[in-house]
Amino acid sequence: MIKGRAWKYGDDVNTDVIFPGRYTYARMEPEEMAKHALEDLDPEFAQKVRPGDVIVAGKNFGCGSSREQAATCLVAAGVGAVIAKSFARIFFRNAINNGLLVLEIPEAVDAIRPGDEVEIDPEAGVLRHGGREYRFPPLPPTVMEILRDGGLIPHLKKTLSKEG
Amino acid sequence: MRGRTAIEKIFAAHTEDEVAPGRVIWLELDVRSARDFAGANVVKRFREAYPGERVADPERTFFTFDCNAPANTIAYAQNQQICRVFAREQGIAVYDVDSGIGSHVLMEEGIAVPGATVVGTDSHLNILGAVGAFGQGMGDVDIAFAFRHGRTWFEVPPTMKIVLRGRYGYPVTAKDLTLFLVGKLGARGALGKAVEIEGEAVEALDMAGRITLCSMATEMGAISAFLPPSDPLWEFVEEAAGRRDFPYPTPDPDAEYAEVLELDISGLRPKIAAPPRPDNVHDVADLEGERVDTVFVGSCTNGRYEDIRLVAEILKGRKVAKGLTLKVAPATCRVWGKLLKEGWLEVLYDAGAVITHPACAGCAQGQIGMTGEGEVQLSTGNRNFPGKQGKGPTYLCSPATAAASALRGKITSPERL
Repeated sequence: MIKGRAWKYGDDVNTDVIFPGRYTYARMEPEEMAKHALEDLDPEFAQKVRPGDVIVAGKNFGCGSSREQAATCLVAAGVGAVIAKSFARIFFRNAINNGLLVLEIPEAVDAIRPGDEVEIDPEAGVLRHGGREYRFPPLPPTVMEILRDGGLIPHLKKTLSKEG
Repeated sequence: MRGRTAIEKIFAAHTEDEVAPGRVIWLELDVRSARDFAGANVVKRFREAYPGERVADPERTFFTFDCNAPANTIAYAQNQQICRVFAREQGIAVYDVDSGIGSHVLMEEGIAVPGATVVGTDSHLNILGAVGAFGQGMGDVDIAFAFRHGRTWFEVPPTMKIVLRGRYGYPVTAKDLTLFLVGKLGARGALGKAVEIEGEAVEALDMAGRITLCSMATEMGAISAFLPPSDPLWEFVEEAAGRRDFPYPTPDPDAEYAEVLELDISGLRPKIAAPPRPDNVHDVADLEGERVDTVFVGSCTNGRYEDIRLVAEILKGRKVAKGLTLKVAPATCRVWGKLLKEGWLEVLYDAGAVITHPACAGCAQGQIGMTGEGEVQLSTGNRNFPGKQGKGPTYLCSPATAAASALRGKITSPERL
């Protein structure tokens, strides 16, 4: 179960503003990366984000460069999930491979305002907000397994050791 | 059984899972690559996750250095060296800082061939659709995983078909057609979809034009773009790989499409994408007269021999406008060498151009440098997001428009030449 406040942004949030290109070459530890999350979009975010908070955005979240730090900096910042109307596909993969829940729920995006409390039960396929429940179709089984195991590499390690 | 689209054909030959849109499959990867951008992070991830282990197949694993080549910051040099050391340990080939843009090198070397599956850390790797290969840019974990296991998970995308009616002729070029499509579809027009583009104009493209068109599938949000095979394609493949007997992913006649879009391109004029987005597309004629400080010719979109020769042909015997800088970066070492040997670099030099190493150059804030605030750049590249190539505004255009504008020092349609 994920529970937190909403940070709301618009359409086409690109990876350059999620994690600035000028830091992509510094081989940072997660705590340092978290300090730069969304730096060029919302300088307040990194200072005020709390574990479990949810990013709510419009269409095509994570477009542009393939940099994986765009997903890992959000994980490091404690973001519980990203809810968007749609995602750029490379970002979508990067998020799942790093265990970050990403969901396309357009009606919820329209309803949620900045700072609102949001609760998500990914297994049940439910998002709760403002006394309403939004049902969303479950992610494909392989994707859910990767998320449950905390990312792609832990997932395959677990699978291989089971087959083992 | 229903017929298969191009991408479904490639996937079906590389998985045991059922291939249908929306299904997540385990996909076997023929080629796994990383460039200097993110390469060091791939190595770090690999070492953390698989200490002491070997890559699945060194013969199918490559490093390609192109973002900052040769390195002009110590951080980049360090990261390239981290990749080299790992490559030596593992027996992996490195296309080093003297090679050029990785995606182009993979095509030129016959590594990315029709029907192949290729992953790397370049978000424009879907450019490989130009040779009928599936190419996909991915993050560090994905690529570390691919290095180790030779496969990855992938959600089979729905396919959209675009049928182009009509044709165009010079000075309208493949880049103008490409910008027209990006403008028409927008950044999300093909989000998460594979795109097949067909029509007389597509069949007429040379190899450089196929590369231009497929490179900007990324800017339409697409997973990849595929084109019908053609003579120029097979000539290119034969030169690169020494043979032609590859399974080109031609869609079945009864393939199922999520969407079919018919577009009339007759009357197409030279196009330009104004800041701040690649899909902010206009006729060059409508923006004529705006001042230009610097012109960049190159990138994975327009850095081929044909692109740069065209610029040289336009500039031959003339000089770029006073106070304007023209920067040329051939896509690969081979392109560079051919331009040199045929005398085109001399023509560019005489016109006032500076010619730099084969690599990504401006698009990756690489070896030709960045723009300062207020410095107006015309680029033959593929992205003009704010900050991407520095502080100045960037316009995207064809090599012909770039050359015409370089001569006059302001945005100029090649229709005027």
